[in-house]
Amino acid sequence: MARAGGITNAVNVGIAVQADWENREFISHISLNVRRLFDFLVQFEATTKSKLASLNEKLDVLERRLELLEVQVGNASANPSLFAT
Amino acid sequence: MAVPVEEAIAALSTFSLEDEQPEVQGPGVWVSTERGATESPIEYCDVAAYRLSLSEDTKALNQLSSLTQEGKEMASVLYTYRSCVKALPQLPDSMKQSQADLYLETYQVLDLEMSRLREIQRWQASASSKLATDMQRFSRPERRINGPTISHLWSMLKLFDVLVQLDHLKNAKASIPNDFSWYKRTFTQVSGQWQDTDSMREELDDLQIFLSTRWAILLNLHVEMFRVNNVEDILQVLIVFAVESLELDFALLFPERHILLRVLPVLVVLVTSSEKDSESLYKRVKINRLINIFKNEAVIPAFPDLHLSPAAIMKELSTYFPKFSSQTRLLTLAAPHELPPREAQEYPLNYTYQRHYLIVNHIGAVRAEHDDFTIRFASAMNQLLLLKSTDGSDVDWSKEVKGNMYDMIVEGFQLLSRWTARIWEQCAWKFSRPCKDASPSFSDYEKVVRYNYSAEERKALVELVSCIKSVGSMMQRCDTLVADALWETIHAEVQDFVQNTLASMLRTTFRKKKDLSRILSDMRTLSADWMANTNKSESELQSSQHGGEESKANIFYPRAVAPTAAQVHCLQFLIYEVVSGGNLRRPGGLFGNSGSEVPVNDLKQLETFFYKLGFFLHILDYSVTVATLTDLGFLWFREFYLESSRVIQFPIECSLPWMLVDCVLESPNSGLLESVLMPFDIYNDSAQQALVLLKQRFLYDEIEAEVDHCFDIFVARLCETIFTYYKSWAASELLDPTFLFASENAEKYAVQPMRLNMLLKMTRVKLLGRMINLRSLITERINKIFRENIEFLFDRFECQDLCAIVELEKLLDVLKHSHELLSIDLSVDSFSLMLNEMQENISLVSFSSRLASQIWSEMQSDFLPNFILCNTTQRFIRSSKTVPVQKPSIPSAKPSFYCGTQDLNSAHQSFARLHSGFFGIPHMFSIVRLLGSRSLPWLIRALLDHISNKITLLEPMITGLQESMPKSIGLLPFDGGVTGCVRLVKEHLNWETKLELKAEVLHGIKEIGSVLYWMGLLDIVLRETDTMNFMQTAPWLGLLPGADGQILPSQDGGDSPVVSLFKSTAAAMVSYPGCPSPASFHIMSKQAEAADLLYKANLNTGSVLEYALAFTSAALDKYCSKWSAAPKTGFIDITISKDFYRIYSGLQIGYLEESAQVQSSSPERLGDSVAWGGCTIIYLLGQQLHFELFDFSYQILNIAEVEAASVVQTQKNSHFAVQGWEALLEATKKARRLNNHVFSMLKARCPLEEKTACAIKQSGAPLHRIRFENTVSAFETLPQKGA
Repeated sequence: MARAGGITNAVNVGIAVQADWENREFISHISLNVRRLFDFLVQFEATTKSKLASLNEKLDVLERRLELLEVQVGNASANPSLFAT
Repeated sequence: MAVPVEEAIAALSTFSLEDEQPEVQGPGVWVSTERGATESPIEYCDVAAYRLSLSEDTKALNQLSSLTQEGKEMASVLYTYRSCVKALPQLPDSMKQSQADLYLETYQVLDLEMSRLREIQRWQASASSKLATDMQRFSRPERRINGPTISHLWSMLKLFDVLVQLDHLKNAKASIPNDFSWYKRTFTQVSGQWQDTDSMREELDDLQIFLSTRWAILLNLHVEMFRVNNVEDILQVLIVFAVESLELDFALLFPERHILLRVLPVLVVLVTSSEKDSESLYKRVKINRLINIFKNEAVIPAFPDLHLSPAAIMKELSTYFPKFSSQTRLLTLAAPHELPPREAQEYPLNYTYQRHYLIVNHIGAVRAEHDDFTIRFASAMNQLLLLKSTDGSDVDWSKEVKGNMYDMIVEGFQLLSRWTARIWEQCAWKFSRPCKDASPSFSDYEKVVRYNYSAEERKALVELVSCIKSVGSMMQRCDTLVADALWETIHAEVQDFVQNTLASMLRTTFRKKKDLSRILSDMRTLSADWMANTNKSESELQSSQHGGEESKANIFYPRAVAPTAAQVHCLQFLIYEVVSGGNLRRPGGLFGNSGSEVPVNDLKQLETFFYKLGFFLHILDYSVTVATLTDLGFLWFREFYLESSRVIQFPIECSLPWMLVDCVLESPNSGLLESVLMPFDIYNDSAQQALVLLKQRFLYDEIEAEVDHCFDIFVARLCETIFTYYKSWAASELLDPTFLFASENAEKYAVQPMRLNMLLKMTRVKLLGRMINLRSLITERINKIFRENIEFLFDRFECQDLCAIVELEKLLDVLKHSHELLSIDLSVDSFSLMLNEMQENISLVSFSSRLASQIWSEMQSDFLPNFILCNTTQRFIRSSKTVPVQKPSIPSAKPSFYCGTQDLNSAHQSFARLHSGFFGIPHMFSIVRLLGSRSLPWLIRALLDHISNKITLLEPMITGLQESMPKSIGLLPFDGGVTGCVRLVKEHLNWETKLELKAEVLHGIKEIGSVLYWMGLLDIVLRETDTMNFMQTAPWLGLLPGADGQILPSQDGGDSPVVSLFKSTAAAMVSYPGCPSPASFHIMSKQAEAADLLYKANLNTGSVLEYALAFTSAALDKYCSKWSAAPKTGFIDITISKDFYRIYSGLQIGYLEESAQVQSSSPERLGDSVAWGGCTIIYLLGQQLHFELFDFSYQILNIAEVEAASVVQTQKNSHFAVQGWEALLEATKKARRLNNHVFSMLKARCPLEEKTACAIKQSGAPLHRIRFENTVSAFETLPQKGA
């Protein structure tokens, strides 16, 4: 065999290749969309995380302020006489 | 399925996924890491379907690939091998008896390690023989099987590369033979009792030979290959393939390029060392081409910290391959460490290595490429998105947009590949040339890394890393968006080639050549997609076929499917077959045109398509390719140097990623700051490599430990930078503008802007698979720093005297302003809250604060005893005669705790220094502002208590003085003249025994006076503040200032302007039908009413001074009977001697005399506050008239005046009578003026007639008095100049 090539049953191979193209179109369509779903999830997670982070930050500030107020109230109610006029 | 996939996916895009966070990190999430298209995911088992009789080839190919895979694992085992010997314990003498046990244990430990080495030895033997067999099988001239295909050639090269790397690594690792000899020793010890040890011993010897022979693997491979002497052909083909690919440099990404470069010298050595004609290679590849490649790539990276040099390898191998040693031209190439420094560095005319390898020389171009590429990529992306959002778009336009996107991706890959290769190569270059002028104490690794990169080079490296990472993440992000466009474009390219180009070739050039045309039609068969147009409607087909018919080309329709790896593999194989004719011996290159049956034109087309096919696979492997190309993990690894330095790990200062972070933080160029997180991506990459590639847990642990440490330091340093920056920004904004205008070098006070806000937005820093909220970390630390700073400022104030209050206020202002600036980007705790916290002033029921109590204790212990008043300048200054109070030394702190930078500090300090020597109105302003309405009353109260305490304290002393006074004192007789009077007064004042008591009483009176004057200053300041408040609120409250300080309402009855304004607004808004929330407007109007009430109540604040005087008066009431005897007769009693005014009179004349004696030489001892204290008490006791009539000094002054008048009348003996008393008289005059001033002040502020009216309410508030009689301006009585 001097040369390579020479598909033995060219017509059949041609038909199979054609069918293969079509099948793979379906497969790649599905797989791409699955990847898109995955991408969406990743991105969704990221966004949610940063939204939670900003919420957390606000809560932190509130918490600290509340703590302060609590101390002040506790302090004040421990000495009721000061507020009796 | 109920919902179509497309629609479901499209629905996802309706979610809002916007994110505040800037993209300043590399890609962190890899969606796919499975085997990609480049190494066919199904191992080419589909190749058989194309019936090209390639089964043998495919089998061999897969075998080589799995060998390569195994080899890589072996290499990582070898690379990460760490010597065990050092860790082995030694037995102390006392336990010698258990030596045998220790040997056994040691043997077992080492045996495990050695078994791995044995495995490597076995593997390399089998791999070499398999590779050799494979080569022999596929390189027979009389070929019986199809192959080798291009992928097959690549597999051979890759396996070759693995073998060469393994060999190189084995040579470089010194610890392995070391461990082995230890192992052998323990083996001989242990094996004494064993039965059959011969085979084991033999095996050991084998292993020893393998380990101790340099290039053992290569030598073995050589033997295997040339067992049958026909591999030269395929070796030559490999060399030709490598050289051509390298020269073309189109379809190669850097990992492949490095493989070729590593393999090439070894291949050349192997070919030329064969028995046959060694020169036949040069018939196919000119030697100059080889030399060029070797010369241009003097160092090639092999492992992260291990490089290869073709010249050095060839030189070394020439001793093992005698035939090769005749290749003098190749052997005279200089290895990188042999390059003369001149050529290596600055040889201007020719090509220089330094220029080539150092990134710093290319960074400008890289920057330009990066900017240009980013813009074009983004615009291509936008086009694509636009295309997707329009339905039924034009076919041509869609094709153009997608083609453009494809081109951008290709360009992006090439850019990334080039940049990352630059980093690899610079590293290799640096490793090959350690820093010269290093001190001998440096370790080897420090020489090649820590001290081998200049600051410029580090900066360039950071920039390049961030270019790579940002382009990488940009491309990675749009993976799924562009995927179908890419598939479609690739599909179109392939179809265009097989349906059009090949068709025309078949019609023209290949019509006569049966063999070739069969191959071409096979290509069509195996990849053409004829029916892609079926899902297009007829009409579209018709319309778009119009153009098609004219150009007589087949029209095909887009289908978003890429060819499989097998298809590409077969197509490449067939093209290669067409070109080479299946003859390995064919002279010339791959696509060289000599002797080919294919015309040049077609050859060109085939060649282009051939290389394009190679690149398609990288594009299909989109995310894997991006990951490979942006992987910079190698920058951390240093296994080779760790071993040669015999340490467990290097300190982090030697770690390249940390050096880069450090460089960014240190760099004055704030533009780099946005890249500060990029070096952490290097850690991410290296952790990934440690786990996935090298599969070594301990490496990951080491990386993790380093990252933890580094990140902590990084956050701390970053916060410091942030704080310093904002502080200096605030300080420079608060600098006096006129000062800046007048200053000659005002620029040094300007602050370079820094873009910190994007770092402040980072809520998700990706680090070793964790998400770190950098923003909250920064907030936490900044909160802490602010508190520390406030604390420090108070500490500092506590170490200084009261005059430092102005400086304290200034510094607190700077801090507050920087807080304001920072709060824009970061949610820091509110400043007043932090200030209260640090002042220990949070409780609702405590009114003192840290600052107030400090001021008070400072006044008590230092200010009142040691400061003297100057009535003229209204200032207190420190008396020179007092002993300084012991204070703790001023704590020192970083410049950022003052004003940021040194320059700003000195500028602000020079302002503060102006106020550091005295206490006056500015200080009072500071006190009022700092203490506020909360703690000020506390301080006032404390001071008033101080007055009453002092009075109580004075009482017994004054009684003591009273006792030694004569029963009665008459008017001073005129006949004695001044001298006589003075003598008489001294006789009356028989206090010689009570000097100390006298001084103490004087001090007491002085302190009372000081407090009262201090209150006066406070009164002035409060008045000013109140007036300011009034001016601001009056228009809103509808008030007008009337005469005599009265406040009149501007209109009768009704609401004030602010209330009516809000009421009418609320009414108008509520009546408007579209008003969203009427309730809130009602609330607002209610709040306006509340504000109106609050502000009105605050208007009539009383005078602090008057309150203080009333208080003093009340305190004195107790002693009234003791200090002022009510005359029994009802008339003024002239001779009375026990009244307070007599005492004060005596004190005053004594004091005046003293000060007259020392006046010229030193300043006054007690200052003007004695007069304030004394006169106030006299006034409040109602003895002012007595004092003015009977005061000794006043009387003497009168006598002197009479005398002077009589002297003027007689015109002779002038100055005779008052001679010697001028100083005393002058002092007395001054004192009288001062006393008059004080009395007039007191009359104005505390008229005695209304003493009862000016009482204190039950609640403690002073009753405000509006009407004043005798309001003589205090300043009229100020001493005149020259008087």
